[in-house]
Amino acid sequence: MTVGMINANPVVHERPERAAHPHAANALDPLDVFDTVRDIKDPEHPYSLEQLSVLSEESVSVDEKLGRIQITFTPTVQHCSMATVIGLCLRLKLMQNFPPHFKIDIKVAPGSLANEESVNKQLNDKERVAAALENPNLRQLVDECLCSNF
Amino acid sequence: MAKVPLGQWVPHVEAFVDVSRPPAQHSASVDALAALVNKDKLTLFDLVSKMEMYLTTTDHIVRSRGILLLGEILCQISFKQLDVNAISTLSEFFISRLSDWQALRGALVGCLALLRRKQSIGSIIIADVERLLESFLRNVQVQSLAPADRKLCFQILNCILDQYPEAVKTKGDELLYGICEAIDEEKDPECLKLSFHLVEVVMKQFPDPSGLAEQFASEVFEILSKYYPIYFTHGVGDELDATRDDLSSALMHAFCSTPYFEPFAIPLLLDKLSSSLPLAKLDSLKYLDNCIRCYGTERMVRHATAIWFKLKEVMFSLSIDQSLSTSGSSKDVEKNKNQIVSKALTCLRTAITYMGSSDEDRLINLILLDEDIVNNIHSVASEENSVLTSLQNPIQLHALGSVISILAESSTHSCTRVLQAHFTRLVDSLEISAGSKSRHLNTCSGSSTAPINYGTLYLSVQMLSSCREVALVSQENIPAIKSAEESWWPILEKNIDSIIHLLQSLLTIDSQSAWSAVRQEYVSCAVKGLLILATFPEQCSPLSANTYEDVLLMLTSVITSKYENVHLWRLSLKALTSIGSSILEFHASQKEIIYNKVVVDKISSLHEPYGTSMPLNLRLEANFEVGTAGPNYMLRVVKSLEEAVVTNISEVNARIENVDYIVNLLECYCGQVLPWLFTSGDVNELALSFAMRLWNEIRDLAISDRIRSQGLLSSLMMGMKLLVGICTEEQQLLIVQKAYDTISSMLSRSVKSMTQHPLAVDESVPLCSIHDTSLVCMLSSVIVGIRPQTPLPDMKMMINLFAVFLLKGQIPAAHALASIFNKYLQNSEFSHENELDKLLGTILERCFSTISYSSDMKIALSSAGTTDDAYCSERLSGIIVSKNDILSGLSWIGKGLLMRGNEKVKDISLFLLKCLCSDQSLVGFSPHQQEHGTNDSSYVSLATSAADAFHVMMSDSEVCLNKKFHARIKPLYKQRFFSILMPIFLSKIKESTAMTTKLVLYRAFGHIVSNAPVPAVITEAHQILLVMVDSLAKLSMDIKDKDLVYSMLLILSGMLMDEKGKECILENIHIVVGVLTQLVSYPHMMIVRETALQCFVAMSNFPHSKIYRMRAQILQATIRALDDKKRTVRQEAVLCRQTWQSFA
Repeated sequence: MTVGMINANPVVHERPERAAHPHAANALDPLDVFDTVRDIKDPEHPYSLEQLSVLSEESVSVDEKLGRIQITFTPTVQHCSMATVIGLCLRLKLMQNFPPHFKIDIKVAPGSLANEESVNKQLNDKERVAAALENPNLRQLVDECLCSNF
Repeated sequence: MAKVPLGQWVPHVEAFVDVSRPPAQHSASVDALAALVNKDKLTLFDLVSKMEMYLTTTDHIVRSRGILLLGEILCQISFKQLDVNAISTLSEFFISRLSDWQALRGALVGCLALLRRKQSIGSIIIADVERLLESFLRNVQVQSLAPADRKLCFQILNCILDQYPEAVKTKGDELLYGICEAIDEEKDPECLKLSFHLVEVVMKQFPDPSGLAEQFASEVFEILSKYYPIYFTHGVGDELDATRDDLSSALMHAFCSTPYFEPFAIPLLLDKLSSSLPLAKLDSLKYLDNCIRCYGTERMVRHATAIWFKLKEVMFSLSIDQSLSTSGSSKDVEKNKNQIVSKALTCLRTAITYMGSSDEDRLINLILLDEDIVNNIHSVASEENSVLTSLQNPIQLHALGSVISILAESSTHSCTRVLQAHFTRLVDSLEISAGSKSRHLNTCSGSSTAPINYGTLYLSVQMLSSCREVALVSQENIPAIKSAEESWWPILEKNIDSIIHLLQSLLTIDSQSAWSAVRQEYVSCAVKGLLILATFPEQCSPLSANTYEDVLLMLTSVITSKYENVHLWRLSLKALTSIGSSILEFHASQKEIIYNKVVVDKISSLHEPYGTSMPLNLRLEANFEVGTAGPNYMLRVVKSLEEAVVTNISEVNARIENVDYIVNLLECYCGQVLPWLFTSGDVNELALSFAMRLWNEIRDLAISDRIRSQGLLSSLMMGMKLLVGICTEEQQLLIVQKAYDTISSMLSRSVKSMTQHPLAVDESVPLCSIHDTSLVCMLSSVIVGIRPQTPLPDMKMMINLFAVFLLKGQIPAAHALASIFNKYLQNSEFSHENELDKLLGTILERCFSTISYSSDMKIALSSAGTTDDAYCSERLSGIIVSKNDILSGLSWIGKGLLMRGNEKVKDISLFLLKCLCSDQSLVGFSPHQQEHGTNDSSYVSLATSAADAFHVMMSDSEVCLNKKFHARIKPLYKQRFFSILMPIFLSKIKESTAMTTKLVLYRAFGHIVSNAPVPAVITEAHQILLVMVDSLAKLSMDIKDKDLVYSMLLILSGMLMDEKGKECILENIHIVVGVLTQLVSYPHMMIVRETALQCFVAMSNFPHSKIYRMRAQILQATIRALDDKKRTVRQEAVLCRQTWQSFA
């Protein structure tokens, strides 16, 4: 799809050590959500979203009572056209791993992207997400990102 | 010898020579030909003469294939006897072929095969080996070959050097040149491993006189040094026959092969020691350690100074590094660092031991007078309030202490030097700070300054420990050391008092809250110091008997009074235990007496339950720990425990609170002390005397009803069982006799009269007093632990007695009966003409009738419509309770019989089955009774107990009838019982219509299935699967059955793993999946939900055509589980969902 790389030289951070689950209670917490998405591969580079600091534990918030999960991610560069793909990956992964009654909001961190508003709108529009996932090329890209294991 | 016709084997040759055939066919034809030759169906001569064309043709491709074939065949017949002619012809051929570079492969294979043959089955002669080597060196250019051929070359050279050393004697420099040439620039890891080995062997082949090794050392080492340190990143998965560790150790052996490498190797290693790569450091230390051992003192002394400086640099982390290694977390870096320091210390130890022997003083001066060391020690000693600063750098301090102690431990002389140099000053400075501390305490108690210099304390203790090591090594020379003026002994002796005083003060003032953070370090150090002082060998102990006693007293007083300080308490206890075991190690009789007096007796004074304020569990722990130091101590501990139990029992009538204390003591005795003693030697005398004393007490105790309070009776019973179980037959006889006498003198008259004759079926059971019951319970515990060979006095009376109490619903009586029948049935020595069988029959008869009679009576009572309803139901409930008890007692007898494989177990199981299905008979009896609620509920409770009875029969028990209590256990009895009962249950379940009946049947069925061996259940899978699944579905309704549901689910998952079980499940996949989806939301037990999900994951491996229809159902169930309360279930659900979603 893209010829050149959008961000050829991203800053790669060291993967922090994963301690045994520090959460004691059995209720759903942000770390649960973060654990499911941290290892998604970046569409461009062989690194996980966590390594590229696209996601962090702080960027996830969960309200179990209202059934809401909110994720804010930060694309590596201002003009990252991969933001929508990343968002799509996040949505699909969360849809697979959490009960359907959860409402999932995916947003780009404010100020991190040039066309922030349109991307946000696109990512939270059911029909457009469904349509995107029907596009075979896009679907393949998303699946590749999801089934990586770091 | 039957030869095979040409037509059969020649095609194999052709197949091999034909390059266009696939490799599999090539190897198959080699195998076929080799098999023919091995079986003598084809002679080598025939083979070679037929192959002549292939071996000599000018087409080098065909020729090389031909030679390779011959070589490969030779490899495969390495165990076949060959005559001298054949061998010499073959070697002639292959040696000549070495010059044929186009067909070299076959020649190499053939030569290697020839060289590897064992002497006994005909091997190549030395002259030929020499010629082979010559031809090899002249013709083969190793580095121009492919890796596989190079490997063969190295193997050939290794083989010659290893097995024919005499053949290379004459080849000297030619060989060494050849080898240098061969290994130069080698890069393949497998070849490298071989070539390192080659160097090692060849350098060892040419020792000093020839001078060759010396001559070539620099050249060879130049080649080797390029590989150091080994950089090799391939993992395990790369299918290489070499790892980094292999390569590194091969290279190390090559380095160590000859002392002539010393001028080159040591500088290289020392240079690499300053490398920034942790791996290079580690390797250098390892190599250095080995080289010091191999090169010899003389050569190494030259490098002493350099080595010391480098090691110092590493140990004290003087060089700034580690920042380069970015990979890995800070934890890894830390770990690496520690590893490096400890390796460096080992290396230093080696260096001191090996190099110290020639010029000890020089080495000592080098280290002891080293500026850094001296400065370090000074700065540690002079630091004021140095607690924080020296703790900030514990690694430095640790390294310093280790260096000092390694040096001091190496010999008496160096120990003396070290102590002379520093010890007195350190102790003095400690004393000064201790003095200032007491001033502090006096003036302002809240002062936050830490009074004692930790670093100094640590170093002093470290030196003490070295003194102890030295003393241990030179035990024989102690008098000489003591008398010598220049020795560590007087220095130690002079300072000993102040040290002890100091350590003691640390133990006593530690509750200062202001420096509690660092207190632990101090306390550990102080306890360690005391431990070291107390464990000097007796003849050179610096402590006088009095001081020794003081030290022990100090530690003991910590145990008895400072239990609120857990850290100190545990340390002291550990120290005392090690002191105790060291006494035994040195056979120090004098000390043992003191130890017994001061430590063991004091700690184990347990008579008074509330004598001290120390918590009971700590007292017991201290007792046990001190006892573990040695059997002698444990015996004392046991005695005092025993004494405490007995005295407290005798006082229990006066003081009810003693009961709890006795229960705890007994628990410790049986749970910890007995098993320990049991592993360490004979304990049965002890057990006998304790059991006898207990019986003396029971005589008095039983009169009061205190015995039943707070679990005293049950803990006494458990203790008695274990004690009896340990004793030998003769001892058991004594105990039984005693118990029997006690019982028979104390039982009430009415009970006694009952036991004179077997119970008649219709006789009613008299009421018994509490004290009779307790006595019988105690007697039963003796019987449970008894061995089958021990004769029982008046067995008939005992059986009658127990039978009476069984009918009163006493389970212990049932245990005793079960043990008797399990151990004594058909034992001609004790029972005459099946008398026991008859008794058993009567008892069973009586039990059956009691149970059925009371249900009849109940019917009668309820149908009579008695006026006094309250009275009626009260009596009824009483009957039901005892009926259930009798039923469970019956199941224990059944277990006893089942374990020994007696036929009568059938009667019991049939009766139990009848109880399970009695509903139907009642239904048919009269519709009128159905209206009565009591009727239904009594059936349910009876049937439930009957179902649980199967659990008792099938499961293993801690209480009675196990290996510890000498039960007779027939192999595979569970399996047999399972296969007998299964068909009956299946048909009963099929027949039964009422839901209640079905439920109890399912429960009994579940108990049997889940306790039977899994393989046995799986072989029956096709019959029981449906019933099992159905019972899972039904039992999951009731929370009481949750354990049963789980164990049945485990069986089901076991079936999923088995091939046969899998087939079965596939046939009924709809039903199985249906039930599992229910269990995915099983509310009562998390692990059931988890296991059900795991079952789904396992099912995803089934053939796709069979399971794709289930996909939607399973996915729906897992989606529900995504919302589970527990995290583990949710995670399992995600996994399950992914697996099932992936095959759309």
